[in-house]
Amino acid sequence: MKKYVLKRVLISAVTVLVILLVLFLMLELMPGSPFNDEKLTEAQKIVINAKYGLDKPILVRFGNYIASMLSGDFGVSYTISKNTPITTLLESRLPISLRLGGQAILIGTLIGLILGIVAALKHNTIYDTITTVISVIGVSLPSYVFAMALIYFLGFQWKWFPLLYQMKSPVFSSIMPTISLCMFTIATVARFTRTEMLEVLGSDYMLLAESKGINSFHLIFRHALRNALIPIITVLAPLVVGLMTGSLVIEKLFSIPGIGSLLVSAIQSNDYNVVVALSFIYSVMYIGIMLVVDILYGVIDPRIRLAKGDEHE
Amino acid sequence: MKRTRQLASLFLAIVMLLSLTACGGTAAPGATASSESAASESASASASTEATEAAKADGPVLNVHFDVEVASMDPQIATDGTSFEVIAAVTEGLYSIDAAGASIPAMAESVVKSADGMSYTFTLRDAKWSDGTAVTANDFVFAWRRLVDPAVASEYAFIAEIAGLKNAVAVSKGEMKTDQLGVSATDDKTLVVTLDTPVPFFDSLMAFPSFLPVNEAFFTAAGDKFGTSPETVLSNGPFMLTAYEPAATTITLAKSPTYWDAAKVSLGGLQYQVIKDSQQTMLSYQNGDLDLAALSGEQVEQFQADPEFRNIMAGYLWYISPNQKVKGLENVNLRKALALSYDKSAIAKNILKDGSIVADFAVPTLLATGPDGKDYRETTGKYLSTDKTKALEYWKAAQTELGVAELKYTMIVEDTESAINVAQFIQAEVQATLPGVILEIQTMPKKNRVERMQAGEFELCLTRWGPDYADPMTYLDMWITGSPNNYGFWSNAEYDAIIADAKKGKLALDLAARWEALKKAETIVMDEAVILPVYQKGDAVMIKTGVEGVEFHSVGINRIFKNATKAK
Repeated sequence: MKKYVLKRVLISAVTVLVILLVLFLMLELMPGSPFNDEKLTEAQKIVINAKYGLDKPILVRFGNYIASMLSGDFGVSYTISKNTPITTLLESRLPISLRLGGQAILIGTLIGLILGIVAALKHNTIYDTITTVISVIGVSLPSYVFAMALIYFLGFQWKWFPLLYQMKSPVFSSIMPTISLCMFTIATVARFTRTEMLEVLGSDYMLLAESKGINSFHLIFRHALRNALIPIITVLAPLVVGLMTGSLVIEKLFSIPGIGSLLVSAIQSNDYNVVVALSFIYSVMYIGIMLVVDILYGVIDPRIRLAKGDEHE
Repeated sequence: MKRTRQLASLFLAIVMLLSLTACGGTAAPGATASSESAASESASASASTEATEAAKADGPVLNVHFDVEVASMDPQIATDGTSFEVIAAVTEGLYSIDAAGASIPAMAESVVKSADGMSYTFTLRDAKWSDGTAVTANDFVFAWRRLVDPAVASEYAFIAEIAGLKNAVAVSKGEMKTDQLGVSATDDKTLVVTLDTPVPFFDSLMAFPSFLPVNEAFFTAAGDKFGTSPETVLSNGPFMLTAYEPAATTITLAKSPTYWDAAKVSLGGLQYQVIKDSQQTMLSYQNGDLDLAALSGEQVEQFQADPEFRNIMAGYLWYISPNQKVKGLENVNLRKALALSYDKSAIAKNILKDGSIVADFAVPTLLATGPDGKDYRETTGKYLSTDKTKALEYWKAAQTELGVAELKYTMIVEDTESAINVAQFIQAEVQATLPGVILEIQTMPKKNRVERMQAGEFELCLTRWGPDYADPMTYLDMWITGSPNNYGFWSNAEYDAIIADAKKGKLALDLAARWEALKKAETIVMDEAVILPVYQKGDAVMIKTGVEGVEFHSVGINRIFKNATKAK
């Protein structure tokens, strides 16, 4: 098991380095510098590039870049918030995005699980159909379309919720964005849970357990759900990433001061440092989640460990 | 028993997974991060509640929409209209701008100008910063030296050169020390400014945010944090910051009790809300969350019948720049043929629909007021108005002179929706009006378009220019020989002479004669079709009934709220 974990961690570390390299190369390939306003004089461009170290040779800049990125120093913003260290921008924004994402994944998974279990148990009934309809809508409708519908009806027409995120009431005003974000999670988790549960419920060992007279609660939660959950944990990782990309649009729509809206602004205003820093953070999050899932998978499913030929613990 | 333990560990694993995903799996301990965020949220929440409460006691709060965040609260670093607006709401310079766009004394109580227009001695009024210290002449000296200091590397250092400040160019290049800049404080109340050349629009430039004062002691104490929070921004203007953080989506300002002219400020404060989605903006406006909101182009049709709808003239002039180093485009008849061949009023009325107007000129309307007290455009003519019959005549003449029957050009255009729509319409019009002319369109991000223009690698380019100061020179200066913004490489000795004379020669002191000379310069530019004007940009806004006195400007500070009122 230790060997397995170590290998996973190493792979993740190498991936992070490759991402750093790719980000740097992309930055180099982008046209011009952040300072090419047509009103800047040539002399002033030289002064500004010197100030931000953009005049140094590429290898020196690459060295500085790797060193500072790994130490968590992402440099300063060029255009969105001039001369502000990006870490300062992240301090207040990252927690908001993480909270929103956390809310969405928690609620989404919970509702998805319930819907999936109900649908599987009440197979081919109206409950099953309702779950399927919700799943299809949730998977096919982009989150921003759903968000706009929520804004229009719940926010504008019926005035149940504020239209925009408010710092004064961070929980209440995040209800609509959370619902919009977790629709896809609900749909995916419900779909997977239903399929997996149906498969497990129809298996021989369930028949055996049932014939041994185990009561239905234990049957479902101990025997069926546990086995059905294993594949669901793997889809949770891509779901979390889906939430991150979804949050770009949702944060912009609800004016949420998170990192998603920051990335959108940074891309629009060519704020290279911010784009690179946020891409890096998103990548590290993704790799981190994948790593955790890989390790958990090993913990939960003994077959994985056995397949890797590791010694038994 | 064993099964229970396994089940328990499974659930534990799921909970861990969920909590880890909630924290994003970053190295930062989740608990600390969220408690910090809760603390900062409650802090800012309480700050804004305080602001609202303070404002309620003092007057109504105006809710204003921004479509982009404030980039900087540092007057010498900021370069965009959004930042300028908030900075100018909390800071006042030597002059401010009145509703009509004229400069009125603000921090300056009186001024003595030398006969040669090269030196100004300002006496400052008794005014206080929001921390109670007096506004002194050194606050201006400190700020202006920062503006040109190569260590600060302000993108707006060029404006010091436009203001004619002595040694501004040499200082910003690092060839001279900042204390050699033509500004000094003889005592706390006396500011002496020396110029390289007389600048007729010097007063109005002094209201421009780059020239706003900064208190040196406060700036030094704030250090790197200067301008990043209400605690690190000092105010000597009508309002003061009560809630702000870098790239904030909400900003609140409250009426400043220490402002010298506080009696005239009727608003209790301003609440800015950044909303980037245009539909969400209008829902918020209709919901009553906003008093003032900007409309996007496609929303104009929907709202223009509304009594709260208003058109505001913006300073941007959109035009086509022909590169005269490209074969054929050096021919004036061809340039004129192109300029007259497309229906400008259709572009303004049918394509843009946002209050933009036809541009038959090189200097926009409502930009500058002359010595006669009239807008520049009121006393000038129209040039290059659409005339398809004449366009065809010019094209025939060009065909003979150039000895060609067909010509093909590529026009580069930035990839915004409105620019592409306008370009495609022009393409269709030109090709229909001038048989034998083929126009192709190449779209690219604005950055690339600017780079291509700067490198001279283009044939035709649909471009725009925004004014930096309220004088026709902000446009006319572009087309002198050797100007870095003279993208078309046009050169005319007579024109160069007029501009040089208006900038540094005898005309610089004879304002009436200078004004006439500038008109003549514009006529030359238009007669030679150096640029092919298309339209002057208009903005559409919604203002709630009961809100009065918001002053809109096309140069420098776009919106001024000092005299704004809001009915209960």
